[in-house]
Amino acid sequence: MKVVKNRKMAYTLIIGCGRLGSSLANELSDRNSDVLIIDRDKDAFRKLAPSYGGLTLTGDATDFNILSIAHIKKVTTIIATTDSDNTNIMLAQIAKTIFNINRVIIRLFDPDRLCVYNDMGIETISPLLLSIKEIETRIDIDKETINEKASGFDR
Amino acid sequence: MKKQAVLIGSFNRARALAKSLNSKGYHVTIIYNNYEKCKILAEIEEVTVIYGEETKPFVLEDANIKDADIAIALTSKDEDNLIICELCKKKFNVKKTISVLNDPLKTDFFYKMGVDSVICEVNAITNIIEQQAIYEGIVTMIPTGEGRISIVEVPILIGSPAVGKKLWEINLPKDVIIGCIIRGEESKIPRGDTRILSGDKLILISANKQEIYAIKELTGQI
Repeated sequence: MKVVKNRKMAYTLIIGCGRLGSSLANELSDRNSDVLIIDRDKDAFRKLAPSYGGLTLTGDATDFNILSIAHIKKVTTIIATTDSDNTNIMLAQIAKTIFNINRVIIRLFDPDRLCVYNDMGIETISPLLLSIKEIETRIDIDKETINEKASGFDR
Repeated sequence: MKKQAVLIGSFNRARALAKSLNSKGYHVTIIYNNYEKCKILAEIEEVTVIYGEETKPFVLEDANIKDADIAIALTSKDEDNLIICELCKKKFNVKKTISVLNDPLKTDFFYKMGVDSVICEVNAITNIIEQQAIYEGIVTMIPTGEGRISIVEVPILIGSPAVGKKLWEINLPKDVIIGCIIRGEESKIPRGDTRILSGDKLILISANKQEIYAIKELTGQI
């Protein structure tokens, strides 16, 4: 049997245990991935499934002491899903510039502050942009079917 | 044209700072997120007040931040202050940005992100309290260089151990120098053979909190 020792274990840190954060944590834990979720409010962890097999940590994730308790140096992916865009951006910048974390994914409600994090290699998910894209594609599909029908009438 | 200063957030700080910047010849614009408080701020003379969410780029644009010489982020949230300063720097090319900060551990991080000047309230307040508690009545102390360096004024009273000694005879800590001696109306830059007299005021420059040992050596107090 060959044991691969040097392979770095995937360890995901999720910040903010809201609907998005808790669902992601449940999903990753179901896939047997190492997960730690941080939230300021202990009660937020009730959203986690009973089967959740990862860790939880109560505290302010922008506090360097909390981050070191979370073993941030071993983290491979950080996902910031707090309800404050500014907190998410700051967390991403801390992760990138101070702890050199490879994958940093943040949720942003307002994509207006792009210039702040544009050149830092931070991946962003915006519900607004996603919705616009989705609705646009659906409208386009509607148009196509209308056009098809219209051309059908022509014949 | 008048120099433009934009203050962002915090009712009390903005109000106090606006008045003092006004008197120094700045035109002040305040951005604040509470309409009623904005009305009160607008009563200050020659101040422009913008009501809106402080960290939104279009609100900053409304405040003409492009023309600002200095932008000061005063909100109580560290992350908001950081984003405000970054927006000012990267989007609006403001020359100088200043941010207040609650968490002293983030000072270096803020500088790294391009904020020109970071003022850590906790550090500033602890320094002042320290000065009041330890040195009260004896010396005046001005912290500088993010609190690492202190400029201290020490009066030499009759009976102080340093009276009558030449500078090189005094065993000062390595990180302290006597930068200036104020003697009555005149002030002189001392040399090794300058003698300290009672009634002198010494201006010390000290690094790494060594001033307390120097004060002990010079005055015998504390």
